[in-house]
Amino acid sequence: MTESEDKSDSYLRSILKCVRCGTCRSVCPVFDELGWESSGARGRMLIAHALSQGMDVDSDVLNSLNTCTTCGLCEQNCPSGAKPPDVIEDTRRQLVLKNKMTDKQAELRENVTKYGNPLAETSDRYSWLGQESADIKSHAEYVFFVGCLESYRYPEVAKTTFDILKKFDVTLLPNEHCCGSPLIRTGFEADDVTEENVEQIRKIGAHTVITGCAGCYTTFKNDYPDEFNVKHVSEFLADHIDELDLNPLDITVTYHDPCHIGRKHGIYEAPRKVIKAICNLKEMNSIRESARCCGGGGGVLSGYPELSHSIAETRMAEVPEGVDYVVTSCPMCRRNLSRGNKNIPVIDLVELVALAIK
Amino acid sequence: MKYIEKLHEIVGKNRVSTSSPELYCYSCDASQIKGMPDYVVRPDSTEQVSKIVQFANKHKIPVTSRGAGTGLAGGAVPISGGIVLDLSSMNRILDVDIENLQVAVEPGVVHAKLNEKLKYHGFFFPPDPGSSAMCTIGGLIANNGSGMRSVKYGTSSRYALDLEVVMADGTVINTGSKTLKTVAGYNLTGLMVGSEGTLGIITKAVLKVAPLPKARTVILASFENPELAGEGVVKTLSSGIVPSACEILDKTAIEALNAFDPNLNLPDVGAILMFEVDGTGGAVEEGAKLIESSCSSLATNVKSASTKQESEELWRARRLVGAAISRLDPNRTRVYVGEDVGVPIKEIPKMLKKVREISEEFNIPIMTYGHIGDGNLHTGMAIDVLDDSQWDSLNKAGDKIHRTAIELGGTVSAEHGIGGARSKYMELELGPALDVMLNIKNALDPNNILNPGKLGV
Ligand SMILES: Cc1cc2nc3c(=O)[nH]c(=O)nc-3n(C[C@H](O)[C@H](O)[C@H](O)COP(=O)(O)OP(=O)(O)OC[C@H]3O[C@@H](n4cnc5c(N)ncnc54)[C@H](O)[C@@H]3O)c2cc1C
Ligand code: SF4
Ligand code: SF4
Repeated sequence: MTESEDKSDSYLRSILKCVRCGTCRSVCPVFDELGWESSGARGRMLIAHALSQGMDVDSDVLNSLNTCTTCGLCEQNCPSGAKPPDVIEDTRRQLVLKNKMTDKQAELRENVTKYGNPLAETSDRYSWLGQESADIKSHAEYVFFVGCLESYRYPEVAKTTFDILKKFDVTLLPNEHCCGSPLIRTGFEADDVTEENVEQIRKIGAHTVITGCAGCYTTFKNDYPDEFNVKHVSEFLADHIDELDLNPLDITVTYHDPCHIGRKHGIYEAPRKVIKAICNLKEMNSIRESARCCGGGGGVLSGYPELSHSIAETRMAEVPEGVDYVVTSCPMCRRNLSRGNKNIPVIDLVELVALAIK
Repeated sequence: MKYIEKLHEIVGKNRVSTSSPELYCYSCDASQIKGMPDYVVRPDSTEQVSKIVQFANKHKIPVTSRGAGTGLAGGAVPISGGIVLDLSSMNRILDVDIENLQVAVEPGVVHAKLNEKLKYHGFFFPPDPGSSAMCTIGGLIANNGSGMRSVKYGTSSRYALDLEVVMADGTVINTGSKTLKTVAGYNLTGLMVGSEGTLGIITKAVLKVAPLPKARTVILASFENPELAGEGVVKTLSSGIVPSACEILDKTAIEALNAFDPNLNLPDVGAILMFEVDGTGGAVEEGAKLIESSCSSLATNVKSASTKQESEELWRARRLVGAAISRLDPNRTRVYVGEDVGVPIKEIPKMLKKVREISEEFNIPIMTYGHIGDGNLHTGMAIDVLDDSQWDSLNKAGDKIHRTAIELGGTVSAEHGIGGARSKYMELELGPALDVMLNIKNALDPNNILNPGKLGV
């Protein structure tokens, strides 16, 4: 058997692992909103199968595959051991190779290639750094990888994070590029951008990359060469909690687990440890492995903003009574959850820490 | 007017699909039966269902009802094309009437959601399928489904008091009454339960509910092999105990459960019987003791689950064991064929032995598990789905399992339904009763538009 036959067999097997039991109907957040079979994990697996048997690609095929937030709830609950998010990403990749994509996907690729970020921002990524650009060291143990959303949409979070981190031996990449997540999640190759980042990390000689974004985190973990450790900011803060000089606050918050650090990588305790060191934590209805998705991942926020909005509304409906903030630890989740309910403030874990440091 | 325009007029454009990927998603359920629909329609009310059926009847377009499509017999698969009516968005719980011991629901209500709601009131709807998290009440009633607790609580038919049904000409009828008993007329409720969408479309169901037991306990008995476990079942049940569940798991099923949830840590033995007793605290304790003593001479070990959480985790995992055997080997996938036979309780050990022989004859591993307390045995085969010869063995083994069950005075399906997958055995199992069924079908659906090709009619 040739290597490509082997690969296509294993792709087909990964699709056929689905026994069509329908368990994922009970958890898929997209299916929950749209209700058509094609909008759930089982439907997407069926469509992937049909494509492998030669079905034509039309806009409904693309919509089915591209409305998946890659939240992993289906995989978590699948009795059969199928991995729909992997199959869906593989299938998106195969379609992109055949030049089959939505306009939004094309736009995303164009933006990252042209501007180094999916937001088509042309300004300086580190404008939040101001006078402190002198804090960028050429060698350090840790690199803080800021990410596009934090750089451009939440510069104050980026600044606060760096202010906390720079007390340790942490620096920034001199010329940070998008981590590649938006490209990889939507089926594109991202080697060019990932290599640019990897080169700089090597030069700095860092053993660990720290990031505050769940999307960057999972991308560094899964799609970058296995040369350095990856830590989420919440983990770093939890490890150094005694050195942060936190003053307890008399408030109550709830915590939203981002899918791509929670279910995907099991980071549940670290953010909770930090929160509990500061204030009361009142949990949401679904948490940890079962936490519902914010609706923003997998390219859904940019590709299907209305759908993404309604998923965020459903998630925000789970916020318990009497909390002052919804805390999360991913700028994408934060952004989308804020759209889901404008009356409850959604903040980043780092901002909560900043409140407790002041 | 074109068909599609008429459908748009009835339900609105966003509730009809003719897109090929969508149609493909509705061309199967969890069985191996396949068939492409021409339209998928997601009605929102009885009135819409009635208009669709009226229109379909006029133009002789097949109409296949579908709940969640978790059926294991192809019941919801449109093997003659036509319209698939996806009823899962008619999912309102209409009335929780505890004083009258009943609830009224739309057909698309998911089983687990109903029980979540009833729990608040200290009640439950007892039929307890493994697919509780996803299957609909409509699908459950149409299949007369049941589950792990049927040994004590029976099947769906015991709980259906009144069904609102859209008949093949679009007429809407009520089959029963809000009373807990009625003898007025033929038992049309009983006729509709288990009719798999071939006689009418259920658009509302009034169901009897039962109080949640005060206490429940799980007892695990280990055996050297399934046949000995089968003898354990016969002995326990004939000693006069009515457990609320009595499940068998063979060696492979045990491995699958441990793979699905390593925390379960089930013992590595030839077979396990999982009993549950429920009721008041005293009755549960006594029941557990009786089970222990009736199994003790055959079992290598008998023990009770120590905590409520442990029991709940065992049931959660058990519910999905059928699909979980796919986890044991990355190259194998569970295929549901010949998976639901039932035999008289006394014949259980014999059936288990036959299954082992069939497994050897066709050289295909067969896992056995199921609601053994009512003689319902699930057989699970997992094959490399890219290997044609394994498909061939699987189908032959499935066929032999079905025929063996009939020979032992049993049935080809105790709860999953006949659908398209087991139609061919109806004549063998039912004999002349099949003609009566055909007459009923002709009388109620003369144009044969309702789920044609299913249930042997
Ligand atoms: C993992 C797994 C475990 C299972 N465990 C069990 C079990 O323990 N016990 C058990 O009984 N079954 C079990 N099943 C089988 C299946 O889940 C049940 O039969 C279930 O009740 C089907 O419900 P559904 O909503 O998916 O129906 P569907 O599969 O959509 O339909 C089933 C049949 O009902 C008809 N139908 C659906 N809705 C209506 C309606 N409103 N009016 C008229 N006809 C209608 C369809 O035409 C079809 O013939 C299991 C399945 C799986 C995948
Ligand atoms: S839960 Fe898994 S096996 Fe079941 S339908 Fe979904 S993907 Fe397929
Ligand atoms: S990953 Fe999430 S959105 Fe995608 S199919 Fe699975 S459950 Fe649905």
